[in-house]
Amino acid sequence: MTIQSPKTHPDLVVPVRNLSEARANATYEALMWALARPGEIRSLPGSDPFALAETLVDRECRVFACDASLSERIAATGAYLTPAAEADHAFLALDTPDGLAALRDVPTGSHLYPDEGATVFAPADIGSGRGLRLSGPGIEGAVEIWIGGIPDEVWAIRSARCEYPIGFELFLIDGDRVLGLPRSATIEVL
Amino acid sequence: MAYVATRGGERAIEQSERLYRAGLGDIDAQRVAAIRQALPWLIDRVMGEASLYEPDLAALALAQSGGDLYETVLLLRAWRTTQPRLAIAEPVTQESLFTVRRISAAFKDIPGGQILGPTLDYSHRLLATSVLEGQPFVPMPVEPAARPAPAHQPSLAAWQKAVGLVADVSATPVAPEDIPDLTREPLLFPAKRAHTLQSLARADTGGVLALGYSAMRGYGNAHPTVNELRLAEAELRVRHPRGTVFSAGRVKVSQAEVTNKGKSGKLELGFCATLGWNEVKVIAGATLDLNAPAAPKNSPVNEEFFLYHTEPVEASGFCIHFKLPHYVTFQSSLDALRDAKAGTAAHATSSTIQRQEEPA
Amino acid sequence: MSLSNLTRPWEAFSYGFLDASAKREMRRKMLKAIAVPGCQMPYASREVPIARGWGTGGLQVTLTLIKPSSSIKVIDQGADDGVNAASIRRFIARVSGAAETMDTLEASILQSRHRIPEEKLRDDQILVLQVPNPEPLRPVEPNMSAAREMHADADYSRLWLTLYEQIVRSGRIMQGAAYPALVNGRHVMTPSPIPRWDVPKLHMARHLTFLSAGREKRLFAVPPFTRVEPLVFSDVPYKVEDHASLTCDRSGVKGYFMNEIPKDDGTSAHELSDSQFGVKAIRRNEGETVAIGDTWYKNGTFTQ
Repeated sequence: MTIQSPKTHPDLVVPVRNLSEARANATYEALMWALARPGEIRSLPGSDPFALAETLVDRECRVFACDASLSERIAATGAYLTPAAEADHAFLALDTPDGLAALRDVPTGSHLYPDEGATVFAPADIGSGRGLRLSGPGIEGAVEIWIGGIPDEVWAIRSARCEYPIGFELFLIDGDRVLGLPRSATIEVL
Repeated sequence: MAYVATRGGERAIEQSERLYRAGLGDIDAQRVAAIRQALPWLIDRVMGEASLYEPDLAALALAQSGGDLYETVLLLRAWRTTQPRLAIAEPVTQESLFTVRRISAAFKDIPGGQILGPTLDYSHRLLATSVLEGQPFVPMPVEPAARPAPAHQPSLAAWQKAVGLVADVSATPVAPEDIPDLTREPLLFPAKRAHTLQSLARADTGGVLALGYSAMRGYGNAHPTVNELRLAEAELRVRHPRGTVFSAGRVKVSQAEVTNKGKSGKLELGFCATLGWNEVKVIAGATLDLNAPAAPKNSPVNEEFFLYHTEPVEASGFCIHFKLPHYVTFQSSLDALRDAKAGTAAHATSSTIQRQEEPA
Repeated sequence: MSLSNLTRPWEAFSYGFLDASAKREMRRKMLKAIAVPGCQMPYASREVPIARGWGTGGLQVTLTLIKPSSSIKVIDQGADDGVNAASIRRFIARVSGAAETMDTLEASILQSRHRIPEEKLRDDQILVLQVPNPEPLRPVEPNMSAAREMHADADYSRLWLTLYEQIVRSGRIMQGAAYPALVNGRHVMTPSPIPRWDVPKLHMARHLTFLSAGREKRLFAVPPFTRVEPLVFSDVPYKVEDHASLTCDRSGVKGYFMNEIPKDDGTSAHELSDSQFGVKAIRRNEGETVAIGDTWYKNGTFTQ
């Protein structure tokens, strides 16, 4: 049953959303559900990684990106480019030694402020490669996923650095598909 | 009778708002201009608490809320929060202020001189009732001094530092864009210095006075002496994206420094500044700041205590929220109470019902 | 960077009222809240055009998520037509163009003060609970900084002690609404002042819940399939309100959370607290075809 409320201010019209607002809203929805249901693949409105930055970061953020041209575009949002160890958001190429080194460096927060742990984005192949069994919040029982294109070392680093409730969030991006791995998820490498 | 989806609630809220607005009548540009012109000190107070320096908008907000100050500040804050942050102004120093009033209670005379400026401090507070009988009150003309006071004044604390009365704190230079902004990030404790001062600058005047006064009466650990009080205008110097620094205009500011002899054998300073001219607020705020470092936890001069409890929008909003229905939480408590009573009767044991935290 | 990078074309106000930077901060904090269920995440909490303490925290979450195709239900104490619920719902629709609904089954976002609807929420629905006081430790530690350290150390001993003292003094735990619960085995949270009746609806639920306190500037979340366990002693079971045998005077429905209506003769009548659930039951009684969803409680008993 849809209802219509009376309009007390006839001069106020519903604001129209612009393109970037619509894209950021849809991108966030995909990220949110991906993180709330680890293992579930969600669709992003596009495959440009800059949309992820546009959704989350601005002048109040410190960002590290492996890719130079992405760095440049992110800097234009007003965000500060920093080394991985100080970044609250990191865009990493985990198939490179630099990317793995950055994953060893990103902040993991503290027991006092777990929210200071970083949010990490990295390209990967979703649906093929190494089998992983996930369990924890957001997952009914356990779920198995397959991730390729990044070395097994990623899982060792994650398991060493994510000691709940400290840790980082990892979003794997494959084109317009995204998969979220919150620090609360237990990952068993199969 | 069927239990239909009543729209009574919707109609009631619409009509109650209309009733309130009907009481205020039409609001036009003339009324707003009259408020701005007639009530500059109120406009200043509102701009400080709203942390938005725009006298026309402040006058409009006062007109729209009929002078309910908490409503006025909320209106302005809700507008302010949607505005983009374009630039960060260069720091304002005491020496650079265009000072119209500057006094110190610490010394009979100070370098640069005591400048009374506009004040009612020494006036006799007599109501001009003849105005109501049709005889306008016409202020006596000001007689200019033979020699105008200098527009810029030195800082007294700088002199005190130079002669070793005040410890010189080594200041680490901070890039303007790195100054923490209370409106963009949460207040956490121990608070960043910038957050403390920003929070005091937008604090409720009455709230700061109440807690500051409690400290002055003895609930604090430091007795304030007004080291320097200033009413001034500050140049708003911002950097254009092309690199030029230019003045975007002047804003009225007030600041107070209060002092007390510290344990270190030097003078300690408490500081408060705000947009607009509001002497009571900055003196009371500086007193709280002076007392904060040595304050016991949960005392009124503890930083967390006074910053949380003098936030006008939060405090007033929470206070009026108790008008909202709470019958679900009440029902839940009632259930526990009845069950405990039944249990007590059954066991015939004596029990005291303890005071319980009522959820809001 | 130029001025035009930083500014935007003039609009009376942004889509969904909050500007892009406010929404980005909310998004960042909401992600962290999902990642550490039940842990209070500090956020800037912008002013919105309603008073603090009147749902500004829930509103900021809703306005961040809202889109034109959303369908929004707002309740206060279980009722859609409560004055504040109606006002919030109208504001959300006014700034977003989203559809307004009273039906739990139709809503994509449900913003609520003090209740969770009786019909089960699905995995595509988001529940936004308004929170007056986000700190379950406040009764034992009013200082927020000290309470935060207790959470960091998972030191809940003083909370356990007060619960134990209540049993000793009154024969039962006297906490009414806002019953504290351990989330994902790590953080104790307040479920907001929902009745004890509603707390089990958060445990291993299919939907996503955000809890947001605008005045206190803290938000937290309960993702789907997350453990939410009320703090109880192993030999004193958790007890919901004794409403299982009450019957709604208006709809004849039995076995749900009720409002008590005192009568002149000293007795009390009861009516369903979930008002739209009651409306649907009456419509069905009158012969209309009405979709009523599966409920968490059946015959007054909670079933997972």
